[in-house]
Amino acid sequence: MFAPPEAHPLDMETFHSQISMPYTLTPGRAAGTFLAEMPNRRIVGSRFPDGTVVAPAQDFSSTDGEEPEELVQVPETGELTAFTRVDGNVIGLIRLDGCANDFAHRILADLGDLSVGMRVAAKWDDTDETSIMAISGFVPDADAPVGEVKGLVGPAEPLGVIDYSMSLDYQHSYGPYYGRMFDEIREHGRVMGVRTSSGDDALLPPREVDDVTHKRTGTWKACADTGTIRACSIINMEFFGLTREVPYVYAEVVLDGASTRMIHVIEIDDLETAKKNIKPGTRVRAIWTDGERKGRVSDIERFEVIED
Amino acid sequence: MGHEVGIVGVGQTHHARRRTDVSQAGLVREAVDRALADAKLSMDDIDTVVIATGPVLFAAVNQPEKWVVDAIGAQGKSVVRLTSGGGAGFAGALAGYYQVAGGYSDRTLVVAYDKLSEGQLQYSISTLYDPFWGREFAVGIMGFSAAYWRARMDVLGHTEEAAAMVAAKNRTNAIANPYAHVKKEVSVEDVLNSRPLCWPIKLLDVPPISDGAAAIVLSNEKKAHHSTSTPAWIRGIAYCCEADNAPERSLMLSEPLAIASKKVYRSAGITNPRRQFDVVEVQEPYSCFELNYYESLGLCPPGQAADLVASGATQLDGDIPVNPSGGCMGANPIGAVGVIRLIEAATQIMGRNESHQIKDAKTALVQSGGGWANLRGCAVLSA
Repeated sequence: MFAPPEAHPLDMETFHSQISMPYTLTPGRAAGTFLAEMPNRRIVGSRFPDGTVVAPAQDFSSTDGEEPEELVQVPETGELTAFTRVDGNVIGLIRLDGCANDFAHRILADLGDLSVGMRVAAKWDDTDETSIMAISGFVPDADAPVGEVKGLVGPAEPLGVIDYSMSLDYQHSYGPYYGRMFDEIREHGRVMGVRTSSGDDALLPPREVDDVTHKRTGTWKACADTGTIRACSIINMEFFGLTREVPYVYAEVVLDGASTRMIHVIEIDDLETAKKNIKPGTRVRAIWTDGERKGRVSDIERFEVIED
Repeated sequence: MGHEVGIVGVGQTHHARRRTDVSQAGLVREAVDRALADAKLSMDDIDTVVIATGPVLFAAVNQPEKWVVDAIGAQGKSVVRLTSGGGAGFAGALAGYYQVAGGYSDRTLVVAYDKLSEGQLQYSISTLYDPFWGREFAVGIMGFSAAYWRARMDVLGHTEEAAAMVAAKNRTNAIANPYAHVKKEVSVEDVLNSRPLCWPIKLLDVPPISDGAAAIVLSNEKKAHHSTSTPAWIRGIAYCCEADNAPERSLMLSEPLAIASKKVYRSAGITNPRRQFDVVEVQEPYSCFELNYYESLGLCPPGQAADLVASGATQLDGDIPVNPSGGCMGANPIGAVGVIRLIEAATQIMGRNESHQIKDAKTALVQSGGGWANLRGCAVLSA
């Protein structure tokens, strides 16, 4: 619709955001048993109705979806089928004796000393961790006898839940519209939007195309520090990721001069008073930070109710 | 118009707050086994598969379909994974519907699930907010929904009492649902007196967090008779959306749902929804949502939802029962819910609903969606 600017890409400042949270993952029976047996120094596999054995144990066959007939103990010896080096570690695929799939793990040897088809054996770590890292890695062992798959005697209770966490970092590009808005917030402490294609009200955040008319938006405009609550709720429940102490008000505010909302917070003393005093239509004012502005929405610390 | 599409087999897990005995893939397998058995089919009879889930951040497994395919024996089949927030399951059913209606598949399996015990629900939903503009103050879907419910109170009269009636009705209905895991009779007063979480949303306005999966087999008219003599035919289905922060977006009525229902009613020949539907199943992530659906689905005019629920019309013995299954209040594995609602409506039409069979139910309405108002769909099923 609109031609890109005639410019080469510029290396601009980016906006950092992080998504980070804990999980409790469920491995299921087969993988849960595999993990529970790691400190017992037993490698658990699945034997499927067609006779194939895979390790680590799986609840479902990757060839036909069948469930395993039984969980088995597989040998800790096998043949190296592939290898590479990642971040200083040698990683290999190992066809454990009697198994139909490859087992991925660290190979404790120099890359130059390895060859496909080489016999290897597990080297166990001294740990009681229920993790595949109870095996420190596999070492070349030319004389390792070929092991046999055995029944799993007295299997451990499968692990029900595994603690896990994930932290993802992003560097978002502002683009020209967000870029100008956040520059204005940082440099001048004012919130600027762009006018709709045909009116005087500003769109916040600013954007290139008017969502309603699908025409190019108009010129830039500074909005006031005051506005009206369009919708609000009282956050009274603590959950992961909240950055404020409860209770407080979550408010969607339309700044004077704008037509779209801005999300922010209002501090309150107690829930009952807030129910009465803070509602759609209530007039509010932005309270900017006393400290250094960073070019984020949080340079406005909070909103406050404008007393009559 | 292409082929007729019917639901010919259904299956869902017994939902739970936390299933530690099965992985995500194992959960999906349970629902698929049940749906295939119900349709008297095996995986060999299925042409295409649609797998639907909520956002991957819910349970930290990206491209979960790779794992699920192994678990359901769908190796080598056409498999599409689809996500659309809270309406994921319903969007999956729509994708399956298109495949069969368009003649690209005789039979399609749609399976939808979420294992919400594994992650941080509200925080995950907060990541849907614009990272620049709002995420710093995001409060998941609950705080946001509560804010717009508060706004609707003034404009549409969706009072705390009216929402409490929805919560009490659905929670009481869920007691008879064998697949629900929250089964406790509560009164309107109990709901009103429960702890504010994101006021006006209170503890008993909020459904549980659940692990669960649900699957349906869709078939065209040529093959349906192999599975059942009473398919639940999909007479219309649509799923619409709106812009996120557009200037004219009121968030008072759900415009996408109004558009979807208009389309669907036209194709299904519905001119008087209040009279023509025997039973309705809706996805109510919080009790206040159901009030909006009454209005956007045309069961009553805007501003009259509180009167409708107070009249008792949407109770089990009312003239238009809504959520005889208990809706989300009995179990809420979010990504699966769209399919669960379809299952509950389909079994009503087939005359074999396990919760509360509505006598002689012939025509059913299903609603599902994600977000507060922005992704909304509905479908009409009939015998």
